[in-house]
Amino acid sequence: MDLNFTPAELEFRASIRQWVRANLPKDISDKVHGALRLSRDDMQRWAKILGKQGWLGWGWPKEFGGPGWNAVQRHLFEEECALAGSPRVVPFGPIMVAPVIMAFGSPEQHKRFLPGIASGEVWWSQGYSEPGSGSDLASLKCRAERRGDKFIVNGQKTWTTLGQYGEWIFCLVRTSTEGKPQTGISFLLIDMKSPGVSVRPIILLDGEHEVNEVFFDNVEVPAENLVGEENKGWTYAKYLLSHERTNIADVNRAKRELERLKRIAKAEGVWEDQRFRDQVALLEVDIVALEMMVLRVLSAEQGGRQSLDVAGLLKIRGSEIQQRYTELMMMAAGPYSMPYIHEAMEAGWQGDHVGAAHCAPLAGTYFNYRKTTIYGGSNEVQRNIVSQTVLGS
Amino acid sequence: MNFDFTDDQLSLRDAVARWVDKAFTFERRHAIAKAGGATRDVYGELAELGLTGLVIPEAHGGMGFGPVEAMVVMEELGRGLVNAPLATGALVAPTLLSSAPAAVQSQWLPKIASAEALVVLALQERGARYRWQRVTTRAVQAGGAWRLTGTKNLVPAADEADAYIVPARIAGNDDDAAGIGLFLVERGAAASVRGYPTRDGGRAGDVVLKDSAATLVEAEGHATLERAIDVAIAADCAEGVGAMEKLVALTVEYMNTRKQFGVTLSTFQALRHRIADVKMQLELGRSMSYYATLKLGEPALQRRRAISQAKVQLGQSVRYVGQQCVQLHGGIGVTDEYQGSHYFKRLTMLEMSFGDTMHHLGEVNCRMADTAGVFA
Repeated sequence: MDLNFTPAELEFRASIRQWVRANLPKDISDKVHGALRLSRDDMQRWAKILGKQGWLGWGWPKEFGGPGWNAVQRHLFEEECALAGSPRVVPFGPIMVAPVIMAFGSPEQHKRFLPGIASGEVWWSQGYSEPGSGSDLASLKCRAERRGDKFIVNGQKTWTTLGQYGEWIFCLVRTSTEGKPQTGISFLLIDMKSPGVSVRPIILLDGEHEVNEVFFDNVEVPAENLVGEENKGWTYAKYLLSHERTNIADVNRAKRELERLKRIAKAEGVWEDQRFRDQVALLEVDIVALEMMVLRVLSAEQGGRQSLDVAGLLKIRGSEIQQRYTELMMMAAGPYSMPYIHEAMEAGWQGDHVGAAHCAPLAGTYFNYRKTTIYGGSNEVQRNIVSQTVLGS
Repeated sequence: MNFDFTDDQLSLRDAVARWVDKAFTFERRHAIAKAGGATRDVYGELAELGLTGLVIPEAHGGMGFGPVEAMVVMEELGRGLVNAPLATGALVAPTLLSSAPAAVQSQWLPKIASAEALVVLALQERGARYRWQRVTTRAVQAGGAWRLTGTKNLVPAADEADAYIVPARIAGNDDDAAGIGLFLVERGAAASVRGYPTRDGGRAGDVVLKDSAATLVEAEGHATLERAIDVAIAADCAEGVGAMEKLVALTVEYMNTRKQFGVTLSTFQALRHRIADVKMQLELGRSMSYYATLKLGEPALQRRRAISQAKVQLGQSVRYVGQQCVQLHGGIGVTDEYQGSHYFKRLTMLEMSFGDTMHHLGEVNCRMADTAGVFA
């Protein structure tokens, strides 16, 4: 047992830190540190910088053009990016669809899709949830009918994060109604410029346009865009979920946000209130405990033991912690979290803030982060999964 | 960075687990608790396994192991609900003697390693709560000999111990960190020793000193005392992890067999979610127990912060796991006859030992820096 990173790992971290500090545009990191609105351009600019370095697919193996880092190196890379204030990489391309294409796609699909994902040129979206299929995802109905060398897709997807920018979307579609719901699902890649695709915004409770509904009306999709075998899509989706399990805890970002919470609390004069400070102290303990749990999972992965049964806990705990720090930041601002001036979340806004500028986004982020215990398999679904592991029944 | 145990550590774990399975059944434990919690014979059996000399240098007859081995042993003793004072006798006492004069070390460490002597920390004073620098027991030197006067409560296995290591004030005010000496007092030198059982089936006692003869261990002993208390806390954390693990296993077994409404308890989602939350607290606790142990060698500031963070997590974990596992058992969970309730009681007392959750939250609070995390 050894808590310390090896000299080689420390050297690796130092080199990443140096690179991130030198290449992350300051206007972008300022927005991230201030929780201000990020534009499509901000997100894609950073993605392309990473892409140029070959690091947008930082979890990719070398054979597909990735850096081939191990679990600890990936963790250190994510930590350095998070602490420096880089935007969260939009995961749908490099983290979600790419591993599925690598594992189950054809060589032609590798050649056609992976370069655009690796470079950050092509914006991918995710088409999983439907209005009638949330936690019960396998009940999905969006239909893809095989006609010759095409699929004809009809139906609707929803909660499509940043789908307004999407150029391609990977979808779970129903190709069969025979047997169990899980066995009739296929994994299809769809060009969002195809005739019959339309995107409608859903405005969330924070007033922001983050997610969308995507409609498919007789959309023709070439059969060559099917990943793997027809009716095997559920297996591929589960493979995707098993990928990058430590990343979902988001502990590095939590560390950064705890620092911000302390700064805000000091500026708002609540840092000297012991009742408030105790809550921050509890959160600090929570974050250290989560980080230790992440490190245990990394250590097990490094040792080739994927099955450490705490991995399923990471999403639950990580999302609870994310909600807690947004809650405490809002509480630190107190009444100054109340004004809603939509423009105040834009960098460089010249208007008059009510109170300090750092107060403007806090309630919005708090509201927005209620999603974290709902998405990616609600925490109640996660508890079902954990209980299966614990009870063995 | 890795959290794997070495083969030697795994063998050590096995050896302790085998002894627990064979020699320390719940029936035996229950009988000991009913009879008042005296465990000197159990302590002797632990000595035969080499555990009383676990961290004592080989030169003094010990095994010279480190904190990780201590953690492994404490986890297993927790799992077996072993109520002998191994943490205080074999881990804390050698730490307290680590800066003692060579003669004192050579006199006592071999005896501690062989369990010929059970030496325990006599720490608690009325009014100090968890402020360990509040020491009112007085030490005076007359004619080259030290004599101590004061009362210590809750001394582990007080009436079975051979000697106590006693923090006593040589100089300064009641709350000063400076002026606290560490002394070794043999049981026969105490004015009186009153033993009593504790709520978790163990045994403690009050030690009253009146001009009692004492050997100086360290004149300015506060830093050593703090380190020894941190060793004790790390041991408690590990013991708590082992005890939680066993209690969760008992609960899982019960949920999979006990039927109500014609089906096993494990079919009810409300209960399934509860056991998932219990598992969460167990694993957060285990993670922070590792953290506590792996930080024991750090400089005082980092060590103390980590230990307090760990104790806050473990305090929450042992309370939640204990309470919920009792709840998940229903009526049987609140009986004396069922072993689960005994785990619950031990877990509860572990939270009260060496600073409860609220105390250590205060310690974390006043040590918060701008940055946070495992490596902050």
